[in-house]
Amino acid sequence: MTGLILDDEDGGLALLHDSVAGFAARHPGPAAFRKRRAAGADLDRDTWAKMAEAGWLGLMLPEELGGAGLGLPEQAVLSEALGRALVTEPLAQLSVFAGMLLAGANAGTERARLAEGLIAGSVIAAPAWQGRKGAPAPVEARVSGDGITLSGRVEFVSAAQSATDFLVLARSGGEDILLSVPADAAGVTVDAHPTLDGTMLAAVSFDGTRVAADRQLAGGNSVGTALDRAIAVTRLMLAAEMAGIATRAIEETAAYTIERVQFGKRIASFQVVQHRLVDMWADAEFANAAVVHAVETCAEGQGLPADLAVLAAKARAGDAAVSITRRAIHLHGAMGFTDDCDIGLFMKRAVALNATLGQPEELRLQFVARERVAA
Amino acid sequence: MAEQQDWNALSDADFRAIFRSWVEENLPPELRFMRKQRPVFEEVAEWYHRLAEKGWLSPVWPQEYGGMGLDAGKHIVYVEEWARLGCPRIPDHGIGLTGPLLIRYGTDAQNDFFLPKILSGEHVWCQGYSEPNAGSDLASLKTAAVRDGDDFIVNGQKIWTTLAHCANWILLLARTSSDGPKRQNGITVLLVDMTDPGVTVRPIPNLRQETDFCEVFFDNVRVPAANVVGEVDQGWALAKAVLGHERIFLGAPSRPEYAIKRLERLAKDRGAFDDPGFVARYAKLRLDLYDLGSAFERFARVLRAGGDLGPDVSVLKIFCSELYQRITEEMLTVAGEEARFWDDLQTAEGEVDAMNLYLDSRAPAIFGGSNEIQRGVLAKGVLGLPS
Repeated sequence: MTGLILDDEDGGLALLHDSVAGFAARHPGPAAFRKRRAAGADLDRDTWAKMAEAGWLGLMLPEELGGAGLGLPEQAVLSEALGRALVTEPLAQLSVFAGMLLAGANAGTERARLAEGLIAGSVIAAPAWQGRKGAPAPVEARVSGDGITLSGRVEFVSAAQSATDFLVLARSGGEDILLSVPADAAGVTVDAHPTLDGTMLAAVSFDGTRVAADRQLAGGNSVGTALDRAIAVTRLMLAAEMAGIATRAIEETAAYTIERVQFGKRIASFQVVQHRLVDMWADAEFANAAVVHAVETCAEGQGLPADLAVLAAKARAGDAAVSITRRAIHLHGAMGFTDDCDIGLFMKRAVALNATLGQPEELRLQFVARERVAA
Repeated sequence: MAEQQDWNALSDADFRAIFRSWVEENLPPELRFMRKQRPVFEEVAEWYHRLAEKGWLSPVWPQEYGGMGLDAGKHIVYVEEWARLGCPRIPDHGIGLTGPLLIRYGTDAQNDFFLPKILSGEHVWCQGYSEPNAGSDLASLKTAAVRDGDDFIVNGQKIWTTLAHCANWILLLARTSSDGPKRQNGITVLLVDMTDPGVTVRPIPNLRQETDFCEVFFDNVRVPAANVVGEVDQGWALAKAVLGHERIFLGAPSRPEYAIKRLERLAKDRGAFDDPGFVARYAKLRLDLYDLGSAFERFARVLRAGGDLGPDVSVLKIFCSELYQRITEEMLTVAGEEARFWDDLQTAEGEVDAMNLYLDSRAPAIFGGSNEIQRGVLAKGVLGLPS
């Protein structure tokens, strides 16, 4: 299996990839998934602390914020490797998305505090910005005196129960603002529900929640810019993670069918099974190629080509991961239908990530709409 | 032969620009984007000779034999531009098959005699591989070549021989021995003059009611032993080895690219972009094509870095040919009641050869190793699945 083939002259990407494999050997993803699910938790703080120790949480944060200042290739390799290993802590939301929001915010002590805590794993800054349909839906903000008062409700908040702070999108007098809200502030209510991938997703309500004015992180046009950038980069990393899931699922399934004997033969020797496995492998190859293309196109600069490449990668990897894991369950037979068999966890994780920040059809429609406007 | 230079020393962009501007000046306009996929020699002779005169007819032959000496990376640029500019397919079995085979395995006498005649167009070659009972299972071929003094006597039949009716030489795989445990042994490559007595060609009209391919019959045809390429009985390995980086072109996106442009033209004219159902289906096709480009690039990069293709490159051929089919199927959906017509459809921006492409798209899933054969290759060669 080839995975992501990126330029890696100094071997740094391979090293990063191997470090995730080592981590996963010590802290197997499927076990952590089941443990977190049984606890009704939205984040395994032990695992999260170890991921912080590994230096993975601030990979793309600029060095002046204490981050590693690395680029999209490094983050993509990390995300792909985590997908392969089924390490399902919400890195995409709490590290990538939150990190991109902070990177696009104004310099200041609050941003510095959040960034430092994010990297160390001590601050859980949960982005809170989506409406019921997933699009940006700012809550209402009133600025008075040296404080800001918030009212409204946002959906699809990851790690809301574990959060120390929410990164909230709000609207005040016709202008978007981004601010951090302490999770324990008065008037904050968390309504969390279990997800398919063994975590919790919450609606968070703000009812007259008042925070100090110095909690504002950005205002005006820079908010939309930071949000768009966070969405694009997170989509790309979700695509990488799903490419990892897709690749692992076909590997596991090929291995299972080679081992499994019926009619006195290994079932992988049957042509109908072989051709199904080949089609699954081909879909994974295309997902990997689409992610590599997007990483490289984004590295050449922002703009339409980069935006299109990201939309394509998320759509391709999402379809691949979901359909490959579904077919993988089938080829595992009745075993695939058990909760004990890990392949089902890969499928559940794939469905959840695929539904995050736009499903394939919606992304494809955005792609052709933007391409046709530009043409 | 015109001046040659070290094309490989240029950047891809510079080479692309040079190639493109020359083609734009020299390709006769009436030959651009020909409806016919496989024109016969006479129809494209002018273009053939212009390329030969420029020294650009055979991109990968070494320059000492009159080729451009392109490496795989530059060859990809050549093929990409060829398709993008709408150059017609020329009868190219001499350039793409016989030439490379001789350059690698031929004797000096064979090279001196045959190679210049390929470049001049005096010899037009076809490929005598498939037989009625040896298609996907090519190694079971039975056309026999029996030694008789300084000659071989050939008897048997080939089929699906593309452009045999306008060729005068055929590169023949013939059985010279049936001994030994492996059927792949005992096959010999022969160069056969089709004007010799005993060779009969019968064209086979295809789905598009054109004659691209033929049956070729051999009835006691006498072939000099000097026309054996390589060793007697060792032809299978030669025929396989000559398939190098060119395998990537079976998955080059040019056919689906052309088809989707025609689909867009038709859809725009018929108002299909106002139909959300069509737009969703179109978006799927458009992104399949876009991602095929990303996947093609992954293999092209291996070649540019001087590497060799593995069996995994077959994935491009499968995806590309099946995408081509799906695009043309959507064309017929958009055509609605008009899909009953044989002729091209008319739009404000020009004709759309929907039915032509729909029929043409059946072929690439079969030729060059059917998609089922390709899946078998991937199952064993990449996934390591057992027999």
